[in-house]
Amino acid sequence: MDKVILRLKERSNIPVEAEAICPDLFLTKSQQEIEELALYYGNKGRRLGDFFQVQGERSDNIVIEGEIPNFKKIGQGMSRGNIHIQGDVGMHLGALMKGGRILVEGNVSDWLGAEMEGGSIRVKGNAGHLVGAAYRGSSRGMRGGEIIVEGDGGSEVGELMRRGLIVIGGRAGDFVGAFLIAGTIVVLGPVGLRPGAGMKRGTIVAFQEPDLLPTFHYNCLCQLSFLRIYLHHLREEDLNIPQEYLGGFYKRYNGDTLELGKGEILVWAGQVA
Amino acid sequence: MQVNGVEIEDTFAEAFRMVGSRILITACSRQWALQAATTMTGFATSVIGCGCEAGLEREVEPEETPDGRPGTSVLLFAMSKKSLADQLIKRIGQCVMTSPTSACYNFLESSETVLVGGKLRYFGDGYQISKLLGGRRFWRIPVMEGEFLIEESFGVQEAVGGGNFLILGQDLESTLRATERAVAEIGKVRGVITPFPGGIVRSGSKVSSKYKFLRASSNTPYCPTIRSLVDSQLSEAVNCVLEIVIDGLEKTEVGEAMRVGIRAACLPGIVRISAGNYGGALGQYHFYLRDILGGTLG
Amino acid sequence: MFRISGGEVYDPLHGINGEKRDIYVRDGKIVAPEDVDQKHLEVIDASGLVVMAGGVDIHSHIAGSKVNIGRKIRPEDHRRDPVPRSQVTRSGVGYTVGTTFVNAYRYARLGYTTIMEAAVPPLKARHTHEELMDTPLIDKGCLILMGNNNFILRHIGSGDYDKIRNFVSWLLHACKGYGIKAVNPGGIENWKWGKNVAGLDDLVMGYGVTPRQIITTLIRVNEELGLPHPLHLHCNNLGLPGNYQTTLETMKVAGQSRLHLTHLQFHSYGGESMRNLSSQAPVLAEYINEHENLSIDVGQIIFGEVTTMTADGPWQYTLYQLSHNKWANSDVEYETGAGIVPFLFKRDNPIHATQWAIGLELFLLIQDPWRVILTTDHPNAGPFFFYPQIIKLLMDKKYRDEMLASVHERASCTLLSQIDREYSLYEIAIITRAGPARRLGLRHKGHLGVGADADIAIYPKEVDAEWMFSNPRYVFKDGLLVVKDGQIVTDYMGRSLLVETAWEESIAEEIGKEFDRFYSISLENYPVELDYLPRYEVIPCR
Repeated sequence: MDKVILRLKERSNIPVEAEAICPDLFLTKSQQEIEELALYYGNKGRRLGDFFQVQGERSDNIVIEGEIPNFKKIGQGMSRGNIHIQGDVGMHLGALMKGGRILVEGNVSDWLGAEMEGGSIRVKGNAGHLVGAAYRGSSRGMRGGEIIVEGDGGSEVGELMRRGLIVIGGRAGDFVGAFLIAGTIVVLGPVGLRPGAGMKRGTIVAFQEPDLLPTFHYNCLCQLSFLRIYLHHLREEDLNIPQEYLGGFYKRYNGDTLELGKGEILVWAGQVA
Repeated sequence: MQVNGVEIEDTFAEAFRMVGSRILITACSRQWALQAATTMTGFATSVIGCGCEAGLEREVEPEETPDGRPGTSVLLFAMSKKSLADQLIKRIGQCVMTSPTSACYNFLESSETVLVGGKLRYFGDGYQISKLLGGRRFWRIPVMEGEFLIEESFGVQEAVGGGNFLILGQDLESTLRATERAVAEIGKVRGVITPFPGGIVRSGSKVSSKYKFLRASSNTPYCPTIRSLVDSQLSEAVNCVLEIVIDGLEKTEVGEAMRVGIRAACLPGIVRISAGNYGGALGQYHFYLRDILGGTLG
Repeated sequence: MFRISGGEVYDPLHGINGEKRDIYVRDGKIVAPEDVDQKHLEVIDASGLVVMAGGVDIHSHIAGSKVNIGRKIRPEDHRRDPVPRSQVTRSGVGYTVGTTFVNAYRYARLGYTTIMEAAVPPLKARHTHEELMDTPLIDKGCLILMGNNNFILRHIGSGDYDKIRNFVSWLLHACKGYGIKAVNPGGIENWKWGKNVAGLDDLVMGYGVTPRQIITTLIRVNEELGLPHPLHLHCNNLGLPGNYQTTLETMKVAGQSRLHLTHLQFHSYGGESMRNLSSQAPVLAEYINEHENLSIDVGQIIFGEVTTMTADGPWQYTLYQLSHNKWANSDVEYETGAGIVPFLFKRDNPIHATQWAIGLELFLLIQDPWRVILTTDHPNAGPFFFYPQIIKLLMDKKYRDEMLASVHERASCTLLSQIDREYSLYEIAIITRAGPARRLGLRHKGHLGVGADADIAIYPKEVDAEWMFSNPRYVFKDGLLVVKDGQIVTDYMGRSLLVETAWEESIAEEIGKEFDRFYSISLENYPVELDYLPRYEVIPCR
């Protein structure tokens, strides 16, 4: 498969605004045109070629070699193609994306997939705060697609999320699914404070007993077919989902009753009721 | 042409264009998955009297179902997309949703779909929950036992209804045994069902009647007890006739089902294999028995 | 010192309708030809261009407490509209509630040079002026909210007009205000109890007075003080179906006195419920046509994002319930309140389309352009930078009909399609400059006669009026070239426009007692000092 490889020339701590690194743009550009794409380095305008050795052209398949935790907005708004980042990467990765796939071997910073509409993101390391969240002031966060973080997630994972699936393989910070409108958040590790605060609808699945707000009410122990579908899907994505999660019982809590109250937090309760 | 000494009549089965769907039902056990399927496919032998024709296609292993539980695959056929949707809503609503631990999924990929879960969801009285995964929308409907999960829409496609053959035998015992064996072999073919009781119909019909208020009547040319009174199709050696009707999603599958069925039915005591048709003017599909057995489809 | 040469001049105050005239400018003023040294005269070639006075906006919300609340609750509004800095201008953000600098630049780039901030709570006057100090290029004045002020309501009850007049006079001084604004008189006070008023004769809780009395009193005080601008009134029942009756009654309350009714579009509704909201603009237009004491500004709907912000707290709560959008409520102690709700006007919404048509009906059915003024009640009905679109709708019947056909069919229940009137450039010059300047009593603005401020906008002459008014070739403020070919070329600080009226010292003592008991700040910290303002100009009373 054709691809464009970007090899980082030199590591820096100065933030780079890199929304130009986007498969939709690369698809029609020659190597030279790719090198000429404009990035902001701090408050200075620079070219992409100043930071990367570019190999390949006219492809929506991008591979980035090197540690780029200072690069922001990569893949912002992308609608197709692939981005494979072999190291760490900075904020706003895949924000507003509509389609395509992003794979990160390392860690990512805040606002991963913020307000994304479609496509999928896979992070092998940890993610920062506000995964799939709404930007401040927006009425909706993530609107579709899938984000899987194999490691930990920060605070406000899926804040104001409207649709889609977020999976945190490790620990999630405070306010998971705060103001959730709909959609599903699965946290395989421990969950921080006040999960689902202000949620209207949607599902948060936890496998370790969270500290719930008093505005969440217990319903019953149950086995839910839909959850089996989701967990099966995650197995297909090569996540380690033990068999006892699939067949097990879940405590179902409804909330946040300060809002609509139709949201749910499902807490795994073991294999037998 | 003869198979195992059984005469294969040079005739054809006349089949019709229908609209078909495939439904996957899962449950906590094989037994309950089968129960829901059996209930859903009850009273679904003939589209004329029952509104649709339906049957169990096969059992589905847990590894093959989206929720990892044992399942059953049901095929359901009707004359139009609308009546198919209508039947799916009624039968899933009354027979699957009511069945303990069941969940119900579309099992037929097709560009054309009908809304089923999208309608049944209203049973949830506002507490139904939608889930969208990988482009498929599911509805979770709260019920007394827990939650009924059903997919929003089900694929439908053009299908073949009324593939058939007649087994003409010397006596009831050998004819029934041969027919049962044919049904069992047809059961191994994917994409087809035999909608009549145990896959067998003993009261085949013809499209005419001496009574004005009836459109169809007993297939008198094949009724042995009145052989001398009618223009019978039976020889003196034939004392019993049974028919197998086959509906399928694809023409090739119906042909294959007929082939394995006829082959299985050619046992001692069977005189002849025939097929039902209306002269070829009514049905869109013609299955010539000799072509089928020769490996080429008519 | 320069001459604007050969332009087509539209100066309605002097009856100049597109004739070629030269305009002479010296020391920030327009002067007679003999007052300039012809030899050392720079010449601005305006041949083929249209020359008008700088635009005057009689009603806009660009500074102060509620504008800032709007900014705070709408980061998403700003994220979509970043404005980078240039050699001359500062960076900022725009869209419905822009930063002060961006608002000023955008007004200037339309050729507007004078803006009235239309609703300043006295307690927030200092904040408002501080924001206006950061609003360069344009001249600006503040209309001070008085329709629900405790002191005024209390003394209406006791019938002490002199005290009220003294108080109003002192308050204008303390706030460095330009005029009196009343918003939903009595209704905001009742909102403090979770209620509203439904008509002119409802009681204001705790005071025993009625909206009718408040309006009558404020009109009388306004006229006795001889303020340059009449009472600037936001009527009761804004936005509600059937509210035209309240509006009509309010107009009758004015009798023969001057009165300015603001954003009349929001007050011209028939019908009994939101479902059958209809236009009563023709009825109101007819009344206005017959009563020369009345003027209005329209508050034209622009389809798209807006941020509604008004002192009318109870209405904003209603709007919050209608829209399920976010809502901020503000209570200003003894004086007034405010509510802020983001809103989206949609073409395919029957109510919004009707509101849009009603605004245009008012423009087109009120015969005297001097008394109908172009506004969008920025940012309530639309951002001000859509003024050129409104101008095109008024000037181009075909464009208007096309837009009417593209919005919800309910808009066709209005008279709009039957009105053939098209505004001329002369009339546009009236409703955007000469008219508002006259109605504000700004005698040195809105025209190009000798002695006027050299606030001048020069537009390319184009068939597409929207493009034309969006792209002035030159804009001069006080004789300085501030905009050239759409770019801000000069940083300049405009003036704050004030009035000064007399009051008796005894009033301060009485107010002081109230402050000690009830206000969160002391009286000493309340009045905005004159030297607080970088530049100001006192506008004489009548």
